[in-house]
Amino acid sequence: MRTYQVIFQPSGRRGEISEGKTVIEASRELGVEIESVCGEAKACGKCKIKLEKGFFERDGITSFPANLSPFQDEEGKFINETDRAAGYRLGCVARIRGDVLIFVPEESRAGKQVVRKAATERAIDLKPAISLHYVELSPPTFHDTLGDFDRLKKAVSEKYNVPLLHIDYPALVKLPEVLRRENWKATVVLWMGKEIIDIQPGNVDEAYGLALDIGTTTVAGYLCSLRSGRVIATESMMNPQVTFGEDVMSRITYAMTHEDGFERLHRSIIEGLNRLIQTTVEGCGLSPKDILELTVVGNTVMHHIFLKINPEYLGVAPFPPAIHRSVDIKARDLGLNVHPCANVYVLPIEAGFVGADNVGVLIAEEPYNQDEMALIIDIGTNGELVLGNRRIMVSSSCATGPALEGAHIKFGMRAAPGAIERIRVHPETFEVNFKVIGQMEWHADLKIVNAKGICGSGIIDAIGELYRTGVIDKSGRMKKELSTPRLRLSDGKPEFVIAWKDETSIGKDITITQQDVRNVQLAKGALYTGAKLMMKKLGVERLDKVILAGAFGSYINAEEAMVLGMFPDCDLKHVYAVGNAAGDGARIALLNRDKRAEADAIAKKVEYMELTVEGDFQKEFMEAMQFPHMKDSFPHLKGIVPDEILNQ
Amino acid sequence: MVSEDKRQEILNKLKEGVVNLDEERVKKASHEALDNGLHAYDAIMNGLAAGMEKVGELYDRQEYFVPEMLIAADALYAGLDILKPHVKQEDTGVKGQVVIGTVQGDVHDIGKNLVKMMFEIGGFTVHDLGRDVPLEKFVEEQIKTDAEIVALSAMMTTTMMGMKKVVQMIKEKNPHVKIMLGGAPLTRDVAALFGADGYAESAGNALQEAIKMIAQLRKLGESRKG
Repeated sequence: MRTYQVIFQPSGRRGEISEGKTVIEASRELGVEIESVCGEAKACGKCKIKLEKGFFERDGITSFPANLSPFQDEEGKFINETDRAAGYRLGCVARIRGDVLIFVPEESRAGKQVVRKAATERAIDLKPAISLHYVELSPPTFHDTLGDFDRLKKAVSEKYNVPLLHIDYPALVKLPEVLRRENWKATVVLWMGKEIIDIQPGNVDEAYGLALDIGTTTVAGYLCSLRSGRVIATESMMNPQVTFGEDVMSRITYAMTHEDGFERLHRSIIEGLNRLIQTTVEGCGLSPKDILELTVVGNTVMHHIFLKINPEYLGVAPFPPAIHRSVDIKARDLGLNVHPCANVYVLPIEAGFVGADNVGVLIAEEPYNQDEMALIIDIGTNGELVLGNRRIMVSSSCATGPALEGAHIKFGMRAAPGAIERIRVHPETFEVNFKVIGQMEWHADLKIVNAKGICGSGIIDAIGELYRTGVIDKSGRMKKELSTPRLRLSDGKPEFVIAWKDETSIGKDITITQQDVRNVQLAKGALYTGAKLMMKKLGVERLDKVILAGAFGSYINAEEAMVLGMFPDCDLKHVYAVGNAAGDGARIALLNRDKRAEADAIAKKVEYMELTVEGDFQKEFMEAMQFPHMKDSFPHLKGIVPDEILNQ
Repeated sequence: MVSEDKRQEILNKLKEGVVNLDEERVKKASHEALDNGLHAYDAIMNGLAAGMEKVGELYDRQEYFVPEMLIAADALYAGLDILKPHVKQEDTGVKGQVVIGTVQGDVHDIGKNLVKMMFEIGGFTVHDLGRDVPLEKFVEEQIKTDAEIVALSAMMTTTMMGMKKVVQMIKEKNPHVKIMLGGAPLTRDVAALFGADGYAESAGNALQEAIKMIAQLRKLGESRKG
């Protein structure tokens, strides 16, 4: 029986599937959950999936409509002509006939992704760019024939002492009507104290803004009251661009190699954001038009694509961005469905790969106002590092690859129900206990476990534990000679069983392979090398604190991360996670306009270091690939890792 | 002349030194080889290179990883530095010439350097253009040196796309040049799609591929002559 490569997005699960199986059957084999209310009777139409057309370099597959069995009449009941042309099919009808890349739309996903981007509690000084000014005007008479705008301008500047400069066109269009509706009593919405962006009848005392964090994988929106600073609603979604490539480099490649590739990437994020905005406001009984301002953070590639700036030149060294400083742009120019005069403030960029998301982290954490030498690590597909204090700041970025997020790991998956997120290995028996997302108890206490794969935090735990218990040595090699049924050879290569077949829902053992260990070594080695070269440059011997930013950083076990040597030795008391600090940065910029000036200033001040051109990069990288490091000492791991293992 | 037993013993020391990542041992064994009158070329090919071949196998079996490869390479180079000045011209029987480099926009060169090393110990004359090499430079260097093989490396999908252009440019000027691609984002299919003649999955693999290509070229040359 022939088999074909099947890839599911956005989960990133992939594998070989026998010819003739339906997409739903394939999804089950690969641990992807697709809604099927009617039990695959072709009757509910809930299992809609989308075939993505084209050649996908990253995966080396060519996915074509003909690689699925022909469209059937019963599908026509649920899929209209437009969707059909776009590649939509029913998962219970379409059968595998070749390599395919299949996108499972949000509504067809059964196990919803756990999006870990909650807003963190932070005290933020309230000074938004939007201010409200209630005015009562005297109506025009024969003796006072001043025009509406000039009349308003006069009243506002008299009462609030703001020199009005400008009124945005859509606000002007509605001005005469609105002024007269409540008998010349109205509230002026002012942006940055200089531009009228809206005028509302009567006395209005509420205004809303939206802070957006556009991540490569996840997009989060924080709807905030601009009067109280409170977060009214948090919504998140998968970045719809994942279909075009999982990491920034493959997105750029997609833009470079497809004629309308870049347009499609831009359109997909704008459409996605409009859906996100709609869901967010609906949940609070508001309308998209109530959103008066937006702020945006994202890595440089997300930033460029969002602004419809071609990201092509970011893909090759020396990776220059189109612009460093922050950008103000009208939401309408980007096709965002919010208030027509709303402004979008996009945070500045430090350097090629150190983007607005990193600036967001900086204005949230303010290492530049502290004496301690802090290392901030934002781990994503790309690792971004900042080292510094009040005196000096340097930043760098390194390609960690997607391993730490669960991709390119044999049983890796994103953080979703069924993912193993915590792992403990017994130092003598090598027995494993683990915890699965969606279940309160550790698996040893459960009858039915149903693990599907391992997510990023589980991978860190697994490899940390395997090193700590001596299953893998300092060089990363699995010790085949060890006697435990969990350690075995598969195709001549070692692997360690985390969950036995009967503890999973995928019908096979979940393992960590030698190759998985190697992929993590590359990723963690890159992070450590970045930190080390920056420390060398600043002449720093020891870190005072390590801040783990990003959704990923919040969920990994900091101790295991240091056991692996993801960063240099530091007192574990001073290693902590700060949640989605980039998103917090967007929120801070939304609520406090002074922080915007600070963002521009700090983005300029931070000195960027290109790591790969440093003379000793290769040597440092090589040493950093071992656990926790080939040569550097880790005094703070004493007592955590047995001496005989730490001093191999 | 050295006895066969002694020869085997020294070759073994060289080989084991490389496999066990022991630079000092390799240096000592290299001097011992010269002191005992071993042919330097014999010591390199059947000692050092044989050791590196074993390292390559261990890498393929995932027992060794990049750091071990690099340390083994250091050990090998330490021996090579001692032995190479004593190699007689007629021994090497120059296999061919290779132009090698990491393509424009890419500054990763660990993999490229390992491949370069394999070519050097395999007896090739290597013209290393370094990293972030402008695409035209590969064409110029090939014409200048008349190298039979051009080997390109890329670590990122974005820079990988530049390889296609280089392949076209070189093939236009000289259709007989063999082009070989390698690097993390590449697969055999992509290399074929770009019009390359060969693909190297690992450093050891690169040398074998190159030797195959040279053999093909020689055959082609002979049949044209004939």
